[in-house]
Amino acid sequence: MSDLGFTVEPGSVTGFLGPNGAGKTTTLRMLLGLMQPDAGTATFNGAPYTSLPEPLRTVGAVLETAFHPARSGRNHLRVYCRAAGFPLSRADEVLVQVGLADAGDRRAGGYSLGMRQRLALATALLGNPGVLVLDEPANGLDPEGIQWLRGFLRHMAHDQGRTVLVSSHLLSEVEQTVDRVVIVGAGRLVREGSMEQLRSGADGAGTVLVRGPDVARFAEVLRADGAQVVQEDGTLTVHGSTPADVGRRAFATGVELHELRSRTSGLEEIYFQLTSGSEQFAAPSPTVQEATR
Amino acid sequence: MIRLVRAEWTKLFTTKVWLGLLLGACVMVIGFSVLFTSFAGNAESGIPAVGTPLYEKLALATGANANILFLILGIIGMTQEYRHRTATPTFLTTPRRGQVVVAKLLAYALVSVVFALIVVAVNYVTVVIHAGARGAAPSLNGDNLEVLLSSALALVIYAVIGVGLGALLKNQVGAIVGGLVYLFVVEPVIRSIPATSGAYKWMPGGGLEALTATFEGPELLGAWQGALLLLGYGLLAALLGTLLAVRRDVV
Repeated sequence: MSDLGFTVEPGSVTGFLGPNGAGKTTTLRMLLGLMQPDAGTATFNGAPYTSLPEPLRTVGAVLETAFHPARSGRNHLRVYCRAAGFPLSRADEVLVQVGLADAGDRRAGGYSLGMRQRLALATALLGNPGVLVLDEPANGLDPEGIQWLRGFLRHMAHDQGRTVLVSSHLLSEVEQTVDRVVIVGAGRLVREGSMEQLRSGADGAGTVLVRGPDVARFAEVLRADGAQVVQEDGTLTVHGSTPADVGRRAFATGVELHELRSRTSGLEEIYFQLTSGSEQFAAPSPTVQEATR
Repeated sequence: MIRLVRAEWTKLFTTKVWLGLLLGACVMVIGFSVLFTSFAGNAESGIPAVGTPLYEKLALATGANANILFLILGIIGMTQEYRHRTATPTFLTTPRRGQVVVAKLLAYALVSVVFALIVVAVNYVTVVIHAGARGAAPSLNGDNLEVLLSSALALVIYAVIGVGLGALLKNQVGAIVGGLVYLFVVEPVIRSIPATSGAYKWMPGGGLEALTATFEGPELLGAWQGALLLLGYGLLAALLGTLLAVRRDVV
């Protein structure tokens, strides 16, 4: 990882996205004091994890879905209740919270991957923390489990005001859950912003598609305004604008238009563009796109 | 720290490893006691006859042979965190990792006190029954009691060494195999070669021999020096393990 900096805010679910090998897990482990960065700091409310007086009460983390196979889920949780000084009844409470109450006395070695994810989440919830850090929590969950996880994380953030950071290599997996995204590729920050900003295109402002019989003249007008315009036959692609602005200019100029709409590329497409090919890591600006056409 | 020690006990007693090792140690010590007593007074074996103080001293020290199982208990106690990848939640709960190692040293030392007393009690009862059947059951006099308690102390210290070795090596199989090879191959060789036998008294095996009664062998330290030497090895391994291995990144 190099020069990665971002902030995660309470009351929202932040997606930490990037392809496999982008350094997501490494970043989260550095965040939690399990790995030492060569330089830099990660803090929770201003304090590094390793200096937190009661870390489990501040941050709950799911990094590992491995457990001692011979120990029951309930006993696994009790170990950490003991270590953190929580009453043993917390183990039963969090088992109910994640829907594992009936499986609590079975050996963790016999759990399915989905049940392991739930047990790991239960471990993170033991201290009732204000911050949740989850590494690929949807891995191994069945569709019903993913549905449940979405609702659970949104409830944690939106209704209870907790800070939730959830990593994934699949945008589609967290698309319906997260409010903000931090996208990394090859160990570097590629994009940080709200889902709305990501949806509306590469640079926050959208791309507008214009069609009409006399778009060549209109292109000149827009270029004179300083807009980035690409002309292809009877179609203009205007970068960094909105349909309202383009429409207003067309009306003022008196140009006939047959189509005017914002061209939203699919989220998956944007995500793919952002994370594939190292030259794209510099965030594709409209000029770059124009140059490659 | 009390919380962390109790957490280690919860870890230990929520799997069955402790039961297997304790029963194994009891079976082992019964076997050694019975064998030893069977050959007592046999001219070829060189074991003194039942009823002599030397026989009693040696027969009641057989419990120390379970040291290997106590070593394994300590090794598993530490290395299970890495083997089953519970090091992550453990160090998330206790980010100051040195505290985890100290808690394990304390937890396993205290548990081993109980286990070791059970083992030497089994040793004593076995010898009383078997030697009694052969004519003279040893009494629990001052000398014999000291031998039994020295054995128990040796077992406790070996559990501490196990935790230390586990912290240093982190790999469970490697630590156990390494420990076995060292105790049963490397040290006997060092002990038997005249050129190196002088150094033997400073080694863990030499410390164990000094602490517990054995046949006449190479020159040894005094009992208490042996105990301190052993404990020193365990704590040194734990310290080095904490500084060099446990602090490393948990990937």
